[in-house]
Amino acid sequence: MSSAIPRIARRQLWVQLRTIEWRVLILAALLAVTLTSFLSIISDRLESGLLRESASVLGADLVVRSSRPISEDRTEMAEELGLITTQVIQFPTMVGAGDNLILSSAKVISTPYPLRGEVITDPPMATAVPEPGTAWAEARIIDQLGLSIGDTLQFGYADLVLTAVLKQSPDRGSGFNTLNPHLLVNQQDLKKSAVLGPGSRAEFRLLISGENDPLKTFEARLKPTLEAHERILSLINDQPVTGNALANGLSYVRLSSLTTLLLASLTILLALRRFGNAQQSRSALFLSMGLTPNALVKLYFWQLGIAASVIAAIGGTAGALLASLADLWLSGLLPQALPNAQWSSYLVGPALGYAMLLLLGMPPALEQANVPVAQLLRSDQTNTTQKASWGLYLISLVLLSTVLLLFLAAPAAAAVLLVMLGISGVLFGWLAQLILNSLGRFLANRLALGRLLIMRLRQQRKWHRLQAGVMVLLLMLLSVIWVARSDLVKEWQAQFPEDVPNYFLINIQEWQKPGVDQFLADREIDTELYPMIRGRLVDLNDAPIRPQLNEEQLKDNSLRRELNLTWRKQPPVHNQIIQGEWWAPDSNEHQISIERDMLEDLGLKLGDKLGFDVGGQPVSGVITSVREVKWESFQPNFYVIFSPAALQSYPGTWITSFKLPEDRKSQANELLREFPSLTLIDIDQLMKQLAGWLERLAESSAFVLIMTLATGLILVTITLLQALEQRKTEVALLQTLGARATETKHLDLLEFGLLGLVCGSLAVFSAEITLAAMNQFLLKIPLAVHWELWLTLPILASVAFIGIASLLRAPLKIEQCYAILKSNG
Amino acid sequence: MTSRSVLLEAKQLGKQFKTGSGTLDLFVDLNLTIRAGETIAIIGKSGAGKSTLLSLLAGLDTATTGTVEFEGNALESLSDAERAKLRADKISFIFQSFHLLPELTAQDNVALPLEIRQQPDAESTATKWLNNVGLGDRTDHYPSQLSGGEQQRVAIARAFAGNPSLLFADEPTGNLDETTGQQIVEQLFSLNEQQGTTLILITHDLELAKRCQRRIQLSNGAIEELS
Repeated sequence: MSSAIPRIARRQLWVQLRTIEWRVLILAALLAVTLTSFLSIISDRLESGLLRESASVLGADLVVRSSRPISEDRTEMAEELGLITTQVIQFPTMVGAGDNLILSSAKVISTPYPLRGEVITDPPMATAVPEPGTAWAEARIIDQLGLSIGDTLQFGYADLVLTAVLKQSPDRGSGFNTLNPHLLVNQQDLKKSAVLGPGSRAEFRLLISGENDPLKTFEARLKPTLEAHERILSLINDQPVTGNALANGLSYVRLSSLTTLLLASLTILLALRRFGNAQQSRSALFLSMGLTPNALVKLYFWQLGIAASVIAAIGGTAGALLASLADLWLSGLLPQALPNAQWSSYLVGPALGYAMLLLLGMPPALEQANVPVAQLLRSDQTNTTQKASWGLYLISLVLLSTVLLLFLAAPAAAAVLLVMLGISGVLFGWLAQLILNSLGRFLANRLALGRLLIMRLRQQRKWHRLQAGVMVLLLMLLSVIWVARSDLVKEWQAQFPEDVPNYFLINIQEWQKPGVDQFLADREIDTELYPMIRGRLVDLNDAPIRPQLNEEQLKDNSLRRELNLTWRKQPPVHNQIIQGEWWAPDSNEHQISIERDMLEDLGLKLGDKLGFDVGGQPVSGVITSVREVKWESFQPNFYVIFSPAALQSYPGTWITSFKLPEDRKSQANELLREFPSLTLIDIDQLMKQLAGWLERLAESSAFVLIMTLATGLILVTITLLQALEQRKTEVALLQTLGARATETKHLDLLEFGLLGLVCGSLAVFSAEITLAAMNQFLLKIPLAVHWELWLTLPILASVAFIGIASLLRAPLKIEQCYAILKSNG
Repeated sequence: MTSRSVLLEAKQLGKQFKTGSGTLDLFVDLNLTIRAGETIAIIGKSGAGKSTLLSLLAGLDTATTGTVEFEGNALESLSDAERAKLRADKISFIFQSFHLLPELTAQDNVALPLEIRQQPDAESTATKWLNNVGLGDRTDHYPSQLSGGEQQRVAIARAFAGNPSLLFADEPTGNLDETTGQQIVEQLFSLNEQQGTTLILITHDLELAKRCQRRIQLSNGAIEELS
């Protein structure tokens, strides 16, 4: 029989593909496998391309990263251990050619470079570092500036000849540096360019490579002496960069795919249960012919396995195709082509398909072994194994949840989501049933079918709870994703007033300030320059701050990085003092005005003394006022402003922002021609880039939304089908007792219509609460009621339920009624 | 007839069912001896327990009391696998509603039980048996392409193909019209005679029952051998 089993399984599957349960099962599983394949391949490519710090991405075995120049003793220590080192400085800067400018990420390097991985250029170059006086640029810079190989580009005060297109390079840096197009420059050209002054924002990296043992020794020696502004990146503690917008976006899309996966699982579960029940007489026949129970179970696992293989192959291919289409979809947003995905990421979707089918198929398959053969002789012999198999279902669901959580990569967040979905599902089911009952009582004396409806609602209450729980959740999630993808982006953009500045000018050195002032005044550009000094918050009331804070406060961003500090005589016009008083312009006291959120988050109060480390020197001041800052004003805004007496003498750079209307944008280029080392950030450009990412995120949600909607519809179909089958006997009885076929049809449709209406209304209600919470706490934008949802969703849900039910419902003839009653008697 | 060996023996068989208000005895202390090659009809009113008795005799159900011995071995002492092997090798069924697999051709349906017991000549044996029931030209047809009578003939071929020593037939003509039913009965009895199979037939059709050598009536929980 061993050879016959796969053959019978294959034939059996082929015939059963015509049944509705196998069709919905295959559709649902295909959607799930396609989606998971796509997500796993694309996230792997994005992660290995941009996020993961692997050897070839680091460009070294170990990197010391700092926001200040790397001290000599770090290099000496490494070299003493026989390690190879090189230094890299990376910073945002403007690159120009003619009238065109682009914000790029300049990487200043010297031989040897890189220590791991390789730099690929077109045309290929003999060395991995550009000769002095030359530069290599990524395609986006070249396109934007309209350059060709051999042209000159402006890098600060230096003119460099473009000698190659940079195709691929390791060591991309962190944060914004990873996304801006890169320019590779020789270290010898840095001084001439004068782009980097004291206090300029730059990332300094010491790349180190060598044997494992000295590397470990180096890391061990370095760790205790690590300064707050330094961080070690190594393969030993290799970890994907978290907190990155892209990584967050990816995990958001993955989490939103959880809904699709849950719906697909539920659909497959219900379909396989139906399938299992329908297989009982077939299984009894096999057993009557002497097939052993074990062989019978094997037969069903073969069948599931064959189906899973086909689904895995088709879904996996579809997912991979979609992922390769994503290259087109992401083009223009990514600085370089994404690397190929690891082969294992191609297996994730198919593996999930196998897990879904085999785990969810386990209970019905095992049940077949206990089917009584005697049922072939007596139609009243029903399967008595139903109750016992709940344990099996529980095991298979727990296993499947584990698989899903593993896939989602953020098990904690996904587990919380899963539990929340579970609780809300139960709550919504209960609420829906309550509302249905009240509606039923209300309609009882007003409709001819009213009394029957009440009976029906009472009889089907368990099913209504289950159906409503799932449907409300589905419709709510769909509404939230729908509104979020269109409205939230719009609402987010609408909060910026029309006349906000569209340029930020940073890195203005002390010696350039008078010139820049003059330039702006000559052109009547209304603005004000702010000094900017970087410092780290270290003390509170003359004692180290960290031990004085609780765990939550220690996570605050203001403690994890250097803050931009400034000093002023007058309060900024766009800030509002909400507590305390601003200092007298000629005050000699060291005072601080602090931003409200920072004060609250760190649990500070007026009168507290804050101590900062500014380039190794201590600076402190007492908090005498609290400000409300409008961050969306695009003015230079600061968490901490010092009185002039405290900070004036420290070296720093100056920053400003201003608005240039479209027709005067050429003045920005004039400014940079006059002061080539300044960094001008075009906010319009930046907003466009940000809007581009938001749009892609919205598009990915829309993709997940479509998948969810499709899976949801399949689920509605199978549950309604099940519901209609359950009602068949009742309908047969009613018709035998004298009800007309149209009346029983109306009763069914009335029930489903009401259920749709209640589910739709509850979904809008909960979607509004979710959206309000998102607006209030996450996006901090005004609350809005979405009337269009209230008007459409309940009606749409009701119409969809009635529509699908009328399509699926076959009217019963009176002879059929009798047959049904007889067979169930 | 007494010279034949005992094939199946029910000793003090009892079957009890739990009901809402207590227990119900379907039958008590029932004794029946069936010898190899006999044809026996079990008759009785609807609800008398004919099918239950058949399930017990075929080892598909377990009795509350008493034993059923097949060739001297108590069925209830056999494991699931041993009972499966017994069914594969020695017991066949013909059902009222045929129970053919729709995705298999007539030939494959007949070959199925032979494949289950890994008989190498399953295909040729199936063809031979389809010829025997007069369906030699319909081997490639699917059940949906066959009439009710033809389907039951495929089921009869399937039942005999395994060369069973015991054949249970449960209302084999119940789903057929009278003429077709008559033809099926003729075929069943003639094949049974050729093969020397022991046939246990369940029916409420007294005419059909008369074709059997023995008739056993089941009523009020007891059996009575009719002359």
